[in-house]
Amino acid sequence: MKNPFFEFKDFRPKKREIPLDKIIASKEKVMDALIKAYDRLVEQEAKELVWLVSYHSVIRAYANAEKSIKDMQYGVEDIEEFLFEIENPSRLPYPIMGLCGLYISALCNHIKEKEIVLDLQNKNINLHLLGYRLPKGKRLIVYGDLGDFTGIGLNGGELLVEGNAGNWTGAGMRMGKIVVKKNVGRRTGEDMVGGEIYVEGKILGVGNVRYGRIYEKGGIVSP
Amino acid sequence: MKQIPKSTWIKIRKKHFFPPLPFPKVKKGQERAALEIKDKQIYIDENFLSQISKKMQENDAIEALLDHAIAHYTFCPWDFATYLKLYAEAKKVSKDKDIAKRATDYFMDVVVDTYCVKEKESNIPSLYKYMEKGKIEQVMCALYQKIWGKDLNVSGFDELVRKLMRIPYINKKRWKEGIRRFTHILKPLLEEQIYQPASSPFGGHRSLFSKDSIDKGLMELALSSSSPQAFGELVNDFKEELKEKGFFGNEVGRGRGQESMANILYYMKLAQRYTLSLKKLPEKKSGSIYPHSHSPWEIEKPYQDIDIWTSFGKFLPGLTQVWNRREGEILYLEEKVPNCLIIIDSSGSMTDPRRNLSYAVLGAACACEAYLKHGSKVAVYNFSDAEVGGKYLLPFTQDRIAIYKSLCKYFGGGTYLRPTDIKFFECDDMDIFFITDMKISNFSDVVSYFNNIENRVTAVHIGESIHSQRFALSVSKKNNISLYHVQKREDIPKIVLGKVKEYLHQAF
Amino acid sequence: MRKSLKNIYDFISDHLYFYRPDLEINGEKYNSTLLFSLLTTVVQGKQLIVGEPGLGKTTSAEYICSVFYQIPLGTIWLSEVAGHPEQTEEKIVGRPNLGLLNKGIESVVWSNFVQLPVKIVDEINRLPETKQSIILDGVDRGNWQYLNEMFTNDEYCLFATANYQDLGTFTIIPPMLDRFDVMVESKHPGANISYLIASFYKKDELLRHEKYERELNKLLNDSKLSYEIKMERIEKVYANFSKHLEKMGLQPISKQKRKAIRNKIEDMELDLDANAFLRTLISELSFCYKYGQKRANEKCEEGCHFTGYLCHSIKNCISNRFPISVKLYAKALAWFLGDKQVNVEHIKTVAPYALSHRLQWKEEFIAIYEKETRVDPLPIYLAKVAVDKVLERYGEQRESIKEALAVAYDISQGKQIAPLEGDHPIYWEIKRDLGGL
Repeated sequence: MKNPFFEFKDFRPKKREIPLDKIIASKEKVMDALIKAYDRLVEQEAKELVWLVSYHSVIRAYANAEKSIKDMQYGVEDIEEFLFEIENPSRLPYPIMGLCGLYISALCNHIKEKEIVLDLQNKNINLHLLGYRLPKGKRLIVYGDLGDFTGIGLNGGELLVEGNAGNWTGAGMRMGKIVVKKNVGRRTGEDMVGGEIYVEGKILGVGNVRYGRIYEKGGIVSP
Repeated sequence: MKQIPKSTWIKIRKKHFFPPLPFPKVKKGQERAALEIKDKQIYIDENFLSQISKKMQENDAIEALLDHAIAHYTFCPWDFATYLKLYAEAKKVSKDKDIAKRATDYFMDVVVDTYCVKEKESNIPSLYKYMEKGKIEQVMCALYQKIWGKDLNVSGFDELVRKLMRIPYINKKRWKEGIRRFTHILKPLLEEQIYQPASSPFGGHRSLFSKDSIDKGLMELALSSSSPQAFGELVNDFKEELKEKGFFGNEVGRGRGQESMANILYYMKLAQRYTLSLKKLPEKKSGSIYPHSHSPWEIEKPYQDIDIWTSFGKFLPGLTQVWNRREGEILYLEEKVPNCLIIIDSSGSMTDPRRNLSYAVLGAACACEAYLKHGSKVAVYNFSDAEVGGKYLLPFTQDRIAIYKSLCKYFGGGTYLRPTDIKFFECDDMDIFFITDMKISNFSDVVSYFNNIENRVTAVHIGESIHSQRFALSVSKKNNISLYHVQKREDIPKIVLGKVKEYLHQAF
Repeated sequence: MRKSLKNIYDFISDHLYFYRPDLEINGEKYNSTLLFSLLTTVVQGKQLIVGEPGLGKTTSAEYICSVFYQIPLGTIWLSEVAGHPEQTEEKIVGRPNLGLLNKGIESVVWSNFVQLPVKIVDEINRLPETKQSIILDGVDRGNWQYLNEMFTNDEYCLFATANYQDLGTFTIIPPMLDRFDVMVESKHPGANISYLIASFYKKDELLRHEKYERELNKLLNDSKLSYEIKMERIEKVYANFSKHLEKMGLQPISKQKRKAIRNKIEDMELDLDANAFLRTLISELSFCYKYGQKRANEKCEEGCHFTGYLCHSIKNCISNRFPISVKLYAKALAWFLGDKQVNVEHIKTVAPYALSHRLQWKEEFIAIYEKETRVDPLPIYLAKVAVDKVLERYGEQRESIKEALAVAYDISQGKQIAPLEGDHPIYWEIKRDLGGL
């Protein structure tokens, strides 16, 4: 029988490339690496996809996050895009908001840029623990609302939230500045040992502040 | 008036794999748009052509414009359904319909231009280089410089471009996420320019689609929408365009149980997906058999039916022919498909068709389509608490919109069906299609009514309850009543069409 | 030779068969009925022409055949078979010589229908199935048999007509329909052209010639002459008639030239895109992931991965006659248009007409498209929609499909590489051909 594919024996596909292809390819590589690292973190930390926030679990998870992103090359746009991927169940089937927040915090803390802007507006995600241990010299600006434990353990950096924040905002922060343009929840500044929290909206409840200041609508509420 | 060279059109068509588009024309436009595409007809603006040909070869400009126009048909968005999907994603981010529309337009332009540059070796970059540009076009050109690797005489906008260039424009599977990111990034700029007229040099995209394409698009949108509300939100954004194509009639006024055209369109498009296509057979067998055709005679066969004339008077196997007989066909008055009375329950226990997909309305709509298609009339008795006026009676009609308006009405009150109301419609030649969850307060009256009629009844109950079991038991001895149970959406067309199909076959 | 064929087309459209063009190829407009009829005569195909009564179904075929084969119109009329239930094999194929039969000698008097290369059957759907089968078998093989005698046609083509009014009781069963190469519709030409036709109702006279018709009739009915001598003399009459046609500005094509045209058409090749596109189309019309192939008695599985392809919209499997018809007509079309190779446009033009009568669509597919604005009858329109859809899908991944076929060749030659993966049925078919699945 004659080979049914005979007519195609000399065919060689023409590969036309434009710079967009290279850009997308390299970006995809970075994104795959970021997602892989996140998946590793989830595997390590979340048993049966449940992760409970506690003092030790946060420290451990953050340490693991730092380990998983070590030596990775990425930029601010990659972090922004990772935010989009959180909403994409085909890429990130198990987005645990606390771990996501910690992971992104690790990414922000280790990037070389001094100022990072993240836009969470119109996104269906409620990140917790964002701004964890933001170091001195770093400025993190977030458009949109954040969840609980925003800016906890802040370590000298500046966190600006152009929206609302949840409970436990600034808990345990050491130094630095948190500015929230709208409202925050309860236990704000719980166990903070330094730094300042400025809330231009309402504070539902102030926590047990050791040292540091909390301002509500320009007026000081703690101490 | 300039003409587009035939050889150019042949070349471009071949490049784009022979799209089914008519020969493009050149005409004097009024806006500054270079292109107008209306119902598949491409128009190139003569003024634009004259201007651009001062800076580049006219033929190259024509080719570039045609590349762009054709790619809208062959690649993005291809049809109205895809356009709506893109728009829906853009709107999720922008929350504003005008910004979403503009974002969608710009996104589609980036997609088709990038596709043409990559796959079709198009002259589009030269076009961008020499044409006049507004602010957003400059941003696009800055983006193109990066992703195409061509110099378009634009500088600046680095930050925006850095974000925009990471979107996989040519990957169809990722358009949804792509347009979300695109809209997100461009939103501040689009908001800034909202009061400027839309300045895309290639013109708007709204008139790209023919009525058929829009019809199909609406059908797909209805299928993929999570609820009638979601469908309505999108469709209402295109009210003007749809009105132009004749999709929106007069909006209904205020009042109890009123419904919107978008809601009606939703159920209409869903039901049309399941339309029956049966053919009428206007013949009846006479009962007597007549000679019909010949077949060769074999020795064992009887000799009574031998046709001696065609057999040349010979009794020879292979030569002799016998008559085959069959029943004669006589013409008589065509049997029509009977009219149908749809009795639909819109009490509080039934799903509100405006908020969520109502199986009852969908089932009734499918039946309605089947009867209307065969030229019959449909009447509607929509009831909730009929005793206190929670009812709507529509006499027999073929007015589709009126029927759907009646079906989509939702009273949401108690459940009381007045059999005397049904007498308003009664005639011999009438099927009844009854859809309810059977939670009727005067249940025994209803059962008694159905037990005393001879019309063919298809009763569909939504959900399982003791009432449906009681109804089934009460009418079990009646041959003219068939009862069906619907648990999921896919059950409806199968059940409805199955039974109605039987009916319609029985008519012949 | 190409010019002569074009000349025939132009002559008929200018003087005999008036129409609106409904097909555009290479920037030129054509009428599908006339064009495909011409191609049918060239490739010796079988064409089914449908349409409302009185719209030129039979006359279009008569004109084309008269001019192409140089046979007077009157002779063609005498050779036509009318479709009605009482038709017999004796009226269609031949009858015994009654005089010789009475002497106990079997000798066949062949019908004009069999002897002439032109086979026109009017209202074929009204013929019983057995008679349809006799005709289609004969045209398929070019051989006719009766009473152990055989008649062979050098050249032949079949035109069968069917009315729409009868389509509701269309008794051409699918296996019969499948044997037609193409189906076209003879459309109403519109009010103005229809009015023009009324002014030219005597146009048939152009193709009539009493003397030659009488001569041919005498020759065809002469059973005493041997086959060779009869054919020789018949050819002479054709040649004389062709001189009559030349006076009207026609460039008739002799038998040798017709043969040469067929050889040239046979030698036409498909370019790689046309080749791959046709395979892609066939794969969508025959593939079934679950059951190995499409079958009319097997329903698609709910939630099948391949719902976006044509296999989900049709009930039956496409036959092997389909690619034969498409290639034949596409080559003829490409040659007619003067192209060096058969390209995608030729396949795209021909495929719907070769497909429309061979497919049984599911109701859901019909429901979506039956209400759309169109100029073609529904079966042809659906076939055009289907072909366009496949072309769109092919366009998106043509390099990949061609690469898959190239890789398949390499694998079949022993190279140790994996076949290319893809969603489309063509990739699965390639894997199956390589013994993968």
